[in-house]
Amino acid sequence: MALESISVIKLRDLLLVTVPPDPDDETISALQERVLQAMALYEARGLVLDISTVQTLDSFFARTVAETVQMVALMGGRTVLAGMCASVAVTATQLGLTVGNALTALDVDRALDLLNAAPSGARRV
Amino acid sequence: MKKATNTPSKSPATVLGSEESFRLLVEGLKDYAIIMLDPTGHVASWNAGAARFKGYRAEEIIGKHFSCFYPTEAVQQGLPEQELKAAAKEGGFENEGWRVRKDGKRFWANVIISALRDKDGSLRGFSKVTRDLTERKQAEEQIQQQSKEIMELSTPVMQVWQGVVVAPLIGSLDSQRTQQFMERLLNRIVETNSPVALVDIMGVPTVDTQTAQHLIETISAVRLLGAQVVLTGVRPAIAQTLVHLGIDLTGIMTRSSLSAGLQVALDILNLKVVRKDDSR
Repeated sequence: MALESISVIKLRDLLLVTVPPDPDDETISALQERVLQAMALYEARGLVLDISTVQTLDSFFARTVAETVQMVALMGGRTVLAGMCASVAVTATQLGLTVGNALTALDVDRALDLLNAAPSGARRV
Repeated sequence: MKKATNTPSKSPATVLGSEESFRLLVEGLKDYAIIMLDPTGHVASWNAGAARFKGYRAEEIIGKHFSCFYPTEAVQQGLPEQELKAAAKEGGFENEGWRVRKDGKRFWANVIISALRDKDGSLRGFSKVTRDLTERKQAEEQIQQQSKEIMELSTPVMQVWQGVVVAPLIGSLDSQRTQQFMERLLNRIVETNSPVALVDIMGVPTVDTQTAQHLIETISAVRLLGAQVVLTGVRPAIAQTLVHLGIDLTGIMTRSSLSAGLQVALDILNLKVVRKDDSR
């Protein structure tokens, strides 16, 4: 069920991915898989992960996101995490969870601004 | 301190007989309910204090089971029996909790139950000393309430510009306060959709490693949201302490004054303040 609720939308040369509210480990792994396939398919130069509905962030999720950021970077894209809830950020900080080199933005609009404004550090592999 | 200046030639005990005077002493005490229970927990004696804050007269309560002093839910949990058992086993039992008056009103009581045994060691009953601590309890609750209010008052987060919030920190930061401050700051950032937060530490008396750690925590939480923190109000003394303690704040934007911080915030937002006549 959760697997179908992941949407990966191509927006010009970017990818917009909405993470379901309460993703289990399987969903998160599937999400990584789909993102990477879409990166390969569209040769996107950026990825926006919209996590505004996510209410719980566990270590597996955080690690997978950090890994995905690295993988996407290897494929020539930059990742922006958009719209993390305040409560999730507080918990994540207290648990010492980090999301690696991901850029962050308050919402999807700002994430798109960030990816479009920044010089495209995209290296095509 | 008052001192007894005149010693009576005869002590009351010699006048009245020691048992009689002891009885008067116990019965007359108004601030303590001192009662005796038989081994099964039925009331065997009553004093003025008990009458005063439990509301029963001696004749209506003697012979009744003492569980009528407890709130219904405590009786359902079997609390009165447990307390008697504990007192019988350990010799004594002390507890604080809600008790009920005759009129149904509750009061916060400190209760000490002691087992009374005769020379052979067989249980003859219990003594139960109760004090009404409702006022103290209320005072404690009031203090808790007030410290909570102070805590909330002391960490305001204000929006000073579209996209900029300012949080002036006053006083020292302990972990409880950091938690609260962090939640408030993060919520305001999300509510106001502000990419920049100015955290002003001008009012923080001293920054030690722990405070710095709390600040760094808050800043990384803000980053997760997708906003940036500019730490302002770094006084010379604070700058010195930070360097001497070897606290690494690289990667965190810091400024000495709030106005300099606001300038940074405007730069981040790509805004510029110009004089009116310049823009003409």
